Order: sequence, then C-alpha cells, then structure tokens
Amino acid sequence: MTTLNLDRRSFLAASAAVAGASFLPGSLLAQDGPIRIGTLTPLTGAGGPYGPVMVKAVKAVVEKVNAAGGVKGRMVEIVSEDDQTNPEAGVRAARKLIDVDRVSAIIGTWASSVTTAVAPLCWESKTFLCTVSGADAITLLPHQGYLVRTQPNTALQGRKFGEFAVAQGGKKVFYLSPQTPFADSQYAAIEAALTKVGGESRKYIYDDKKPSYRSEVDEMLRYAPDTIVLGGYTPDTSVLLKDIYRSGFTGTKIAFGYSVNQKLLDTVQPELAEGIFTISPSPAAGSEAYKALVSLTGVASPDPYTTQIYDHINLVLLAIAAAGQASGEAIRSKIRAVSQSPDGVKVDNAVDGLKLIAEGRPINYDGASGPCDFTDIGDIIDCQFRYDQVRAGKLTLVKIA
Amino acid sequence: MLSYLLFTLTIGGIYAMLALSLNLIWGGVGMVNLGLAGFFAVGAYATAIVTGAGAPVIVGLGSALLAGVIVGLLVTYGTLRLRGDYLAIVTLGLAEVIRLIALNERWLTHGADGMSGIVAPLRSMVGSQAFNLGYLVFVSTVVILLWLLLRRLDHSPFGRAIKAVREDQELAAFAGKPVLRLKLQTFAVSAAVASLAGALYSHFQSYISPDHFQPLITIYIFLAVSAGGVGRPAGAVIGAYAVVAFLEGTRFVAELLPGVDPLQAAALREMLVGAALLLVLHLRPQGLLPERIQPARKT
Repeated sequence: MTTLNLDRRSFLAASAAVAGASFLPGSLLAQDGPIRIGTLTPLTGAGGPYGPVMVKAVKAVVEKVNAAGGVKGRMVEIVSEDDQTNPEAGVRAARKLIDVDRVSAIIGTWASSVTTAVAPLCWESKTFLCTVSGADAITLLPHQGYLVRTQPNTALQGRKFGEFAVAQGGKKVFYLSPQTPFADSQYAAIEAALTKVGGESRKYIYDDKKPSYRSEVDEMLRYAPDTIVLGGYTPDTSVLLKDIYRSGFTGTKIAFGYSVNQKLLDTVQPELAEGIFTISPSPAAGSEAYKALVSLTGVASPDPYTTQIYDHINLVLLAIAAAGQASGEAIRSKIRAVSQSPDGVKVDNAVDGLKLIAEGRPINYDGASGPCDFTDIGDIIDCQFRYDQVRAGKLTLVKIA
Repeated sequence: MLSYLLFTLTIGGIYAMLALSLNLIWGGVGMVNLGLAGFFAVGAYATAIVTGAGAPVIVGLGSALLAGVIVGLLVTYGTLRLRGDYLAIVTLGLAEVIRLIALNERWLTHGADGMSGIVAPLRSMVGSQAFNLGYLVFVSTVVILLWLLLRRLDHSPFGRAIKAVREDQELAAFAGKPVLRLKLQTFAVSAAVASLAGALYSHFQSYISPDHFQPLITIYIFLAVSAGGVGRPAGAVIGAYAVVAFLEGTRFVAELLPGVDPLQAAALREMLVGAALLLVLHLRPQGLLPERIQPARKT
C-alpha cells in the first residue's frame, strides 16, 4: 500500500486552487446572449420525490421553445439548483442563481420556509419568483409584485372544506388537526363558511406523534358534531381513524387528499376509512396544457407541483416576450398581461403564445394547473378542487369543481 | 458575482463561529455537543424576538448571548452524570426540543411560518450592497476576535485545566481542579458563541424558521472541525471556511461535468460531503492543523 504524502502546505494550496477554479465560470459569463431562468426545487430532503420531475418538465418546455426559435430570437437556458428542502441551503443556492448566473426568474420553490427565505433576495435583486408553496404568509410579504404562486393558499382550501361540509348538510363541525403552518388559517375559513349559514364549529389541535387519540375523540364526542374535518397527515390520521371508529361516530368525515390516500387505505382496516370524503387541489386534467405536459414528460398523471412549474416556465417566457426584455422587472410588469388579459386569445403553451405575441395580439394563458389568474398580491384567484369518497375501500371520484 | 462572494464569505464567518463553539466544548473539555443547531436557533430566535419588540440590535445580540448561556447551563446541569455517547444523545434531543418549541409556540415564534422582517442594521440607510460588505467586515472582525480570545484561552491555565478534564476527569478532580465548574463555564461560553452566530445569521438573513435549524448544519460543523483539527481554534476556523468553499464550489464543478442532470448533481454533492469527511479522517485524522500540546514548563 502506498502512503499518500500530503503535507499541510500542499493541501492548502491545492484546496485554494480548487476553490478558486470553481468560481471561474461565473466571470466568463456574457451579460447578453441566452435568457437565463433558474429552477430552485427540492432534489434532496423531504421534497425530494417532487423536484426532479419538476425540473424535467421545465427542461422539456424550454427545449420546445428553443427548437421553435427561442424567445424573440434569444435562446433560453435553464440553471437548476437544489434547495435541499432547507431554507439555509436554499438561500445559498438562490444567491448563486441571482449573483452568478444572473437569472431573470427563479421558479418552483416548494417548501414554504424556503420560499419565505428566498423571497427577500428576489425582490431586492429584482428577480421574479414563482412558487408552489401554500403558506398564507408568503403573498403577504412586501414583495412589490416580484412573486406569484400557483398553489391555492390555505384559506382558499379551508373555504372549500367549509362549503363542502355545509353542502353535505353539516351544521356543527369539529376540526381536528396537528400543529401545522396552515391549521389556524384553514380553520378560520371553515368557521367563516359555517357562520354564514348559521352553523357552528370548534377547533382542536393535537400532538401528531401520539400512539392513541382517546382523549381527543372524547373531546370530540362531548361537542357532538355532525361533521368532523381531519387536518392531519397520513400517519396520525391512521391512528386517529381507529379511535373515531371505536367511538361509534357516524357523521360525515372530511380529510385532505394527501392524507387519506391509497397508502392509508392499504394499511388500515377497510371499515375505518369507509365513507370519508377527501378534498385536494386538482390540476386542470383534460385541459390542452395538461395533455401537452403528459406527452412532454411521459408521466401519465403528473403531480400538482409539476403542473404548476410547467405553468411557471410558460408564463415567465411569455411575459419576457411580451415585454421584449429579459429582466425581473419586465416579467413583473407583463405577467398579468399574458396570464389574464380579458380580451386575449386563449393559449396553453409558450410556443403558440410566442407566435401570437410576435403578431402583436393579446393572449390569456390557461395552464395545466388551472386558469393561472393572479390577484394583486400574487395569489391565484381560483382553481379546481377534486372531491373523492372512500367507497368499498377505494377512492371514488365524486366531482371536480 | 461580487455580492455572491461577499455572501459566501459571510456565511463562512458564521460557520466559523459555530466551529469555534464546537471546538471549545469538544476539543477543549471533550463533551460532544450534537445540539449545536439548537443553540444556533436559541440565539437566532432570542434576537429576532427582542428586536422585533422594538429593542436595538445591540440589545438583541446581548440577549442572544444571555439566552445561550442560560440554556447552556441548564443542559450541563441536566447532564452532569453523562459523558460521551449519552451526552451526545441528550444534546441531539435538546436541539430537536428547541426546534419543536419554535414550531409550536406560535405566539412567540410564529410557528412554522417563521419570523420574517428581522431588522438588518443600517441596511435601509446604506443600501444592500454596502450592507453586505459592511456585514462581512463585521462578522469577520467578530470571528478574528473570537479566534484570538479562544486561542488565548487555550494557552491559559484555564485552557490547560479543561484539557486535563478532557483527558481524565477523575485525575483532574484528584489534582484539585473544579471539574464541575470548568464544565459549566466552558459549556456556557461555547453555547454563547453558538448563540451569537445564530443572532448574526438572523440579522443577516432577516428571516428564520424552525426548518433552518435541522441537524444538517450540525453535521457540516462537525465536518469543519474534524477537517480543521479538533482542539485548535485556527483549525476550526479554516475548516469552516473550507467547508463553505467546498459546499459552494461543488455547485460549479457539478455544472461542468457533462451528462450529469441536476438530480444526479445534487446527489453527487451530498455524496462528496460524506466522501470528504471519510477522506480527511483517513488521510489526516488529526485534521489540517493538529492540536498543539504545550510541553510542560521546566522547573
């Protein structure tokens, strides 16, 4: 075995050389040339299952646009960084995208904490940010219009829960949820929907790591609700359902689509989950944009985040074309002109939209995640929701509305 | 590019402070503190809460130091009889407890939404570029001061006494060293340094959330101290800057590799961090700058 002789001086010199060399490419970048867009998605960490497909969708869109001649003759280049589902790492990655790559927009931030951490860097450097995070606080940041999101905020989701409960004849709703960023705002929206029709509701926050929820369920029975809303995730909801079943509760049960999912149905006894309604934001399945996305990525039913980032890249490129300039400010000034122009021609992909813009016609982009119309603070105005019910142990579609 | 370099160097400085904190407690007394992220969080939240209530930044930094000392003392008291693995487990748990408190005490910490809009001193007056430069100078000065102080501490009778505790606690007690007091003092100072790092991070980024304080950062700092040399402040500082340069440098290297898609590049970076730790431990287990043991004075 040979021993590697590495003294301190040469090690330091070598590492300095490596570190120095790694900073080189940035200085060689031209200021003009391709339009650069950054994706900042989770490729590792808790969001790891979603990020890679998201990047793939963006690259597929850009390939098509470049093949059709780019945006106003300029090619589009995607720089992808990993936010590691961690705001500290996300900020470092965003700094690199903004300062070194000089991207005009960052798209696809996933975790709410990452988005909140990255947003100030974006609006200060006049870089546009498109996100799929749901926390209500995000669009309330002082972002000066440099941010839009395609994920319905939790207040909108809560309203849908409340309205659905009322539509099922609910008058007395009990809301059970672990401590999540959205528990409070979601409950507020449910409460509002019920007070509107003279109903009432109560909230109960539980610890999501308990092995049994007897006392929580007793609390629920004391209130004697006709409807319960389950705000938790799959693991705690499985345990909770057991105790609810034992209590003999027969009213309506409503839960999130991501919590009462096929995985939950596979693991609990069939009678526990029977009859539960689930609600989840629905991509605009069946729309032309959705079909285009399916054929681009080869994924039969893309997850909501992929449909959203597909809309991000299309919208950003269209806004750049409409403004005739690739900067965050240009995107900010034109994004609503391409997403919701009232007399615009409906388009569902960037290539068609770019042609129309070149002809000088107004457009209105309708995407794979929904109509993509934004309020002044950057929330989407509406999107479709999907309602399912567990019937004979299977999730059965009730309606998409 | 320039602002990216300024940013990276500032983050390097904050990592260096964390590394100095770990080096003091781990390299000094030999207590393994896996809860570094927790103390980092305590400082970050302390100053965010205090300055959020209207206090000036200097008071915020002071309260971060104080909060760090208090939590540090509580932990040492609670774990007096534990050494080695058990202490490591308890401190790891402590970091998680602090993260959960930050997540659930919404009235104090805004829960999972995190605290945004933390004051960045003088930023609105001088603009963000000048702020970034000024903050880098400030953080670097703090690092240099801490390094000088901790180096001085190493060469002092106190430094020799804590190293005696590290080598053999019973023997040190037998020689008349107040083992308990030494441990308490060192842990408190170490916790205060980590909290100060958190406070400086807080004012630099203007936003903190429970997600910031996952164990990931503790691992990076352990890598920094192991690579730099356990038991030598200069080693910890150099190790920390090297880790940040490595974390950031690998981004650009991964981009240069042909045929590597972003997912593979991300996975590769994580693997490289692990591989780097293994390589350092294999090639230079004593670190880049090994500890200097002073010879006993001739009498």
